[in-house]
Amino acid sequence: MNAYGAKRMGFGTGLLLLIVCLLCVFPMFWMILVSLKSKALTYDPSVWFFSPTLENFKAVFENRNAVAYLRNSAIVVVATTVVSIFIGGMAAYGFARFEFKKKENRAFWVLSLRMLPPMASVIPLFVMASLIGVLDTHIVLIVAYMLFNIPFTIWMMRSFFEEIPVALEEAAFVDGASRFRVFVRIILPLAVPGLIATAIFCIINSWNEFVFALFLTSSQASTLPTTVTLFLSVSGVAWGEMSAVGVVTIMPMLIFAMIVQKYMIRGLTFGGVK
Amino acid sequence: MLRQYFHKRPHLVYIMPAILILGILTFVPTVFLYGLSLTNYELGYPDFKFVGLDNFVRLFSGQDAEFWYSVRISVGFMLIVTVVELLLGFWLAVLLDREFKLKPLAFACLIVPIAMTPSITGQIWKLMLNAENGVVNYLLHFVGGKVIWLSAENAFLSTVLVDVWQNTPFVALIIYAGMRSLPSEPYEAAAIDGANRVQIFRYITLPLLTPMILLAVVFRAIDSLKTFDIPYSLTQGGPGSSTEFLSLHVYRLGFAQTGWVGRSAAVSVILLILITAISWVLIRAYRKGVENRG
Repeated sequence: MNAYGAKRMGFGTGLLLLIVCLLCVFPMFWMILVSLKSKALTYDPSVWFFSPTLENFKAVFENRNAVAYLRNSAIVVVATTVVSIFIGGMAAYGFARFEFKKKENRAFWVLSLRMLPPMASVIPLFVMASLIGVLDTHIVLIVAYMLFNIPFTIWMMRSFFEEIPVALEEAAFVDGASRFRVFVRIILPLAVPGLIATAIFCIINSWNEFVFALFLTSSQASTLPTTVTLFLSVSGVAWGEMSAVGVVTIMPMLIFAMIVQKYMIRGLTFGGVK
Repeated sequence: MLRQYFHKRPHLVYIMPAILILGILTFVPTVFLYGLSLTNYELGYPDFKFVGLDNFVRLFSGQDAEFWYSVRISVGFMLIVTVVELLLGFWLAVLLDREFKLKPLAFACLIVPIAMTPSITGQIWKLMLNAENGVVNYLLHFVGGKVIWLSAENAFLSTVLVDVWQNTPFVALIIYAGMRSLPSEPYEAAAIDGANRVQIFRYITLPLLTPMILLAVVFRAIDSLKTFDIPYSLTQGGPGSSTEFLSLHVYRLGFAQTGWVGRSAAVSVILLILITAISWVLIRAYRKGVENRG
C-alpha cells in the first residue's frame, strides 16, 4: 500500500509520463527507422514514412562480418555466465547460510570489486595477456568478465538464498542428508527462478561490456559492442549500416531485459533492493 | 589436518573458489599496474627501465595540463550527472508512484535505456545529435532552434545529456522501489499530529528513503567517474580534448595515439585511488544507513 494513501492519475501526470516514455524509446525507434532506410534517405531526418529495405542488414552481414561478431559475443557471454553462476552461486550460498568471522567485510570487499574501474585492470591484463599470448582470444574475455560477473552473482544469489526458509534445510539435516546434498537437492531447485534471473543479468552485462572487449581483442574475438570502432571516422559514415549493427546488438538484450523485468530493480542494485 | 581445518570452517568450501579467483584477478593486475606505472614502458619497444616516481612527478608538478583538465571534467561530470539523475529520477519515481493501468508499459519503456548497450547508445546519439542531418536539430527547427551539439563548447553537456538519458530510469526504479516499501505507521502518526506535506516529506519520507538514495548515488557516482563507453563512441574525447575524461585520457595516452603505457598506467593508478576513496566513503555511508535501518 502506498504511504500517502492512493494517489490518482491526473491528466497532467499522464501527459508527463507519456513524454518520458516517448523520450526513453525514441532513440531506439530512430535507430530502427534509420536501419530500414535506403542509402539515399539515411541523411534526411524529415523522412519518417518510406518503404523499408533490409539492404543495410544485408550489407552488415555480408561486408562487415556481423556473423563473426555475433558468434564471438555469444561464445564469450555463455561461457562466462556458466562459470560465474557456478562459482558465484556456491559462494552466495556460503554467504547466505554460514556465520563466520568478518563475513560482512568479505561480502563488501566482493561488492567493492564492482566499483573497480575497468580502465585500471585492463592495462595490466593487456600486457599480461600479450606476454602469455592469449590476446584476442575468447578465453581472455571470458576470464576478464568473471571479474564483474562473480561479484554480481554472489550478491544477487545471496539475496535469493536468504529468502528460502532455513527450516527446509534443517528438516533434511534431521533426515541425515549432508550439507552439500541439501544444497544440490533442496536449495538449488528452489532457487531456479533466481538463478535464471541472475544468469540473464550476467548475460546482459557481459554482452554490453565495452572496455575489456576494446582493449583485449582486435580481430579474432571482437564482440558486438566493439563494432562502434568500425564507424568512427567522421567522413563517409554509413549511418544505415551503423544503425543496423546497433539494432542487432541491442535487440537480444532488450528481450532478455523484458523477461527479467520482475527482478530488474534487484538486479540493478546487486540484490540490495528487492 | 587439512580435513579438520575445513571441518571447522564449513563455509570455506563454498566461498573459497570465488574468493580465490577474484583475489587473483584483482591482486595480480593491481600489483602489475603499480609496477607498470613506475616504468617508461612503451608499446612496441621491448626494453624499458624503471623510472621511479617520474611518471607521478610529471603529473603532479603541473607540467601535465591535459591530465588536470581530465580530472576536472571527470569530477565535474560525476557531480553534475549524479545530481541531475537523482533529481530527475526522484521526480520520475513520484510520478510513477500511483496506480494506473498502463504501468507495465511505462516500465517497459523505462527499461529500454537501461538495457541499451552503452557504446551503441553513444553511437545512436551521435547520429541523432548531428548538426546538419540529425533528427534532434530537425525537430528543433520547428521551434526555430539549432544547436551544434557536438561542438567544443557543447560536447561536454551533450555527453551529460546522453548519460542522463541512459541512467535516469535506473535511479528512478531504485527510488520507486524505496517508495513502495515505505511503512504506513509513521504517516498515520504524522497525520494525527497534524504535520503538513512539507514536514512529512522532510522528516519522514526523506529519512526513510535515505538508504535507497545512497545506493543510487553509490552506483551513479562511481560509474560516471569511470565513464568511457558513451564518450568514446559519441565524441572520442573531442573536439580537441574537450570531453577527454580520465578513462579516455588513459586510453589515448597508452593505446590510441601514443603508446606510453607506463605514463597511462600512472594516470589509471590515480583513477583507481580516486574511485577507491570515493566508493569507500559512499559504501561506508550506505552500510551505516542499512544497519541503522535493519
